[in-house]
Amino acid sequence: MSGDFYQYISYTDLLRNRKKVLRIKKTERNIVIGIPRALHYERYHVLWHGFWEDLGVKVITSPETNRQIMENGMKLAIDETCLSLKIFIGHVNLLLGTCDYIMIPRICNLGKRRDMCTRFYALYDLCRNVFRDSPQKFITYNLDMINGNDEEQAMTGMALSLGFTKSEAHKAYKKAKKKDVEAWKNKRKEQEARYKSNQTGILLAGHSYVIEDAYIGRPITEALKKLGVTVIRGDISDISNALKQSEKLSPTMRWEINREIVGNVYENKDHVDGLILLSVFPCAPDSMTNEMIVHKIKDVPILNLVLDGQSGVAGVETRLESFVDILNFKGGRL
Amino acid sequence: MTEKRKIGFPRMADYNYALKYLIEKGLEQQYVMQPSMTQKTLDIGSRYSPDTVCTPFKTTLGSMIEALESGADTLTMIYGPCRLGYYGELQEQILRDLGYEFEMINLAAYDTGKKKDFLKAVKRANPKVNLAKLAVAGAEAMQMTEYIDDVTSHYYKNCGFEQEKGAYKKAKERFLSDMNAARSRHEIEDGYRQVKERFRSIPLDKKEYPLRVGIIGEYYTTMDAFSNLEIEQKLADMKVEVHRWMNVSHRNIHYGGEKNLKVRIQDLCEYEMGPTASANIWCARDYAERGFDGLIHIKSAGCAPEIDVMPVLQNISKDYKIPVLYLTYDTQTSDTGLMTRVEAFYDMLLMRKKVIG
Repeated sequence: MSGDFYQYISYTDLLRNRKKVLRIKKTERNIVIGIPRALHYERYHVLWHGFWEDLGVKVITSPETNRQIMENGMKLAIDETCLSLKIFIGHVNLLLGTCDYIMIPRICNLGKRRDMCTRFYALYDLCRNVFRDSPQKFITYNLDMINGNDEEQAMTGMALSLGFTKSEAHKAYKKAKKKDVEAWKNKRKEQEARYKSNQTGILLAGHSYVIEDAYIGRPITEALKKLGVTVIRGDISDISNALKQSEKLSPTMRWEINREIVGNVYENKDHVDGLILLSVFPCAPDSMTNEMIVHKIKDVPILNLVLDGQSGVAGVETRLESFVDILNFKGGRL
Repeated sequence: MTEKRKIGFPRMADYNYALKYLIEKGLEQQYVMQPSMTQKTLDIGSRYSPDTVCTPFKTTLGSMIEALESGADTLTMIYGPCRLGYYGELQEQILRDLGYEFEMINLAAYDTGKKKDFLKAVKRANPKVNLAKLAVAGAEAMQMTEYIDDVTSHYYKNCGFEQEKGAYKKAKERFLSDMNAARSRHEIEDGYRQVKERFRSIPLDKKEYPLRVGIIGEYYTTMDAFSNLEIEQKLADMKVEVHRWMNVSHRNIHYGGEKNLKVRIQDLCEYEMGPTASANIWCARDYAERGFDGLIHIKSAGCAPEIDVMPVLQNISKDYKIPVLYLTYDTQTSDTGLMTRVEAFYDMLLMRKKVIG
């Protein structure tokens, strides 16, 4: 069967004609999936890329965040949403028309008291509504462990809807998950090496999509490195241990990412010189959990840094410099 | 007889009367009713709250302080799927750091997935609780909640059209004081029957097609008249029929989950977008299809789930050509500023109605 087959059937028909389609070799399925490089991309990219590439699907991602993307997102999003969502919408906007499907997963929770911010509940439907006038199709998977949708089931379900077989999908998921676990281990190894550094150590507590964002978060790590500081990331940890630790600091905290960060902070606060709470304006969970950290942790200097996408780098740099000076002074290095 | 606990809970619309009934009849403890919220409550609450937290956190914190100052020795807090789930613990921490002494029964701590664990919370409030009594009182308090919602809903739909100014308000206040004083099922039923009769006897001057406005939005701010600066009263005073679906009976007692509400809004949202999202979207579409003149979407500053609903509401507004006024309440929102916007919205609706028919 030739590639022309795709010309006259829609993708919903694909599901119906699965058996016919399946006779085609994997590599001949010319589906292109677009993934915005924002929000959960940083946390899941190994899994997502691994999964689709194993299925023979071409994956394209948006470029790293730049001023243009952020400003486009700001125009399209509701004024009061958080900066990270605005950036996400900017990325989705850039992907419109460049791929068959844009993948926007709905990641709700990983179990009891392991919720994501409600923003992730809405993400898929939100984007569908913002870009309703565009013919772009979106694809999602629904990770909701409380209601019995685990990651494997959700992701393979998504592949099934595109016409892949069950065995193909499960195999791809397992392979990708293995890669994902491996990548996380490597990240943790790098992290542990940082603790051994002799420089002033600062634990940067923030969501991975803020810290890793090329436009808003990375300038901060760069600036800190320039000041001779070893930046230890709060978002990389042994997750099950961090979750246990977080219960010691705050038993009813309910957000997965915040619990990972808070647990990590609680465990390692004595191994660092200072703590920077990095969040975007107006992050819903951070507005409360950072307050809790400030109330409960009294023996480590804390800088509460909120990014709003408006301020130039200079203002932030000044604050970082003075904070690092205080730490060095306190540690007898100045 | 051991001394009774004095339990306090933040003010929330008129539901504190039902809670009082539940605590005094079911748990056989004392309920401490703090004064209604004022600007001072909000000021004191926001002084000790984090800046970017949603406004209900600040109002409820202020109201908790007022409860403690009114003599409560035990505070209780509910939880929810959004930031509300973390209110209790952070508020307790803030109050303790301020130096207040009290016991906290934070229901979020008992939300472990097993329903049995809530019994522990009940046992903490009163170790010798009579569960049969509690169940009966619970059912009666629920009944009272439904009556309060029914009366409130009827009140805002009609009070703007009364011929004798203030008659509706008087009847409603009488009803609320009856509910405050009610000690038995009989008294609750009586109070409800009386207010219904009084409402019925008030002569109305209502034309066939009055302006109808639907209120949708965030759970707490839409229901609590202090928090939304009495927007419903303001609209009613302009002779508008004000409808609001969102209340405790609809959202908590009779809410069948998102399942059946989602059928009619499948094209707009495939999944639940937040704790009250499906309900609000369904409600907005329902109002639009029923030919309402306008919608008002109410939320507190920074309420993430409601902000995420806004793009959907914008689409509904486009599809049905129905005007939507988006209001955000923070600690700075002033009465005058709100009035200007509401008046402009009202004028626009009126002109539109004249042109379109």
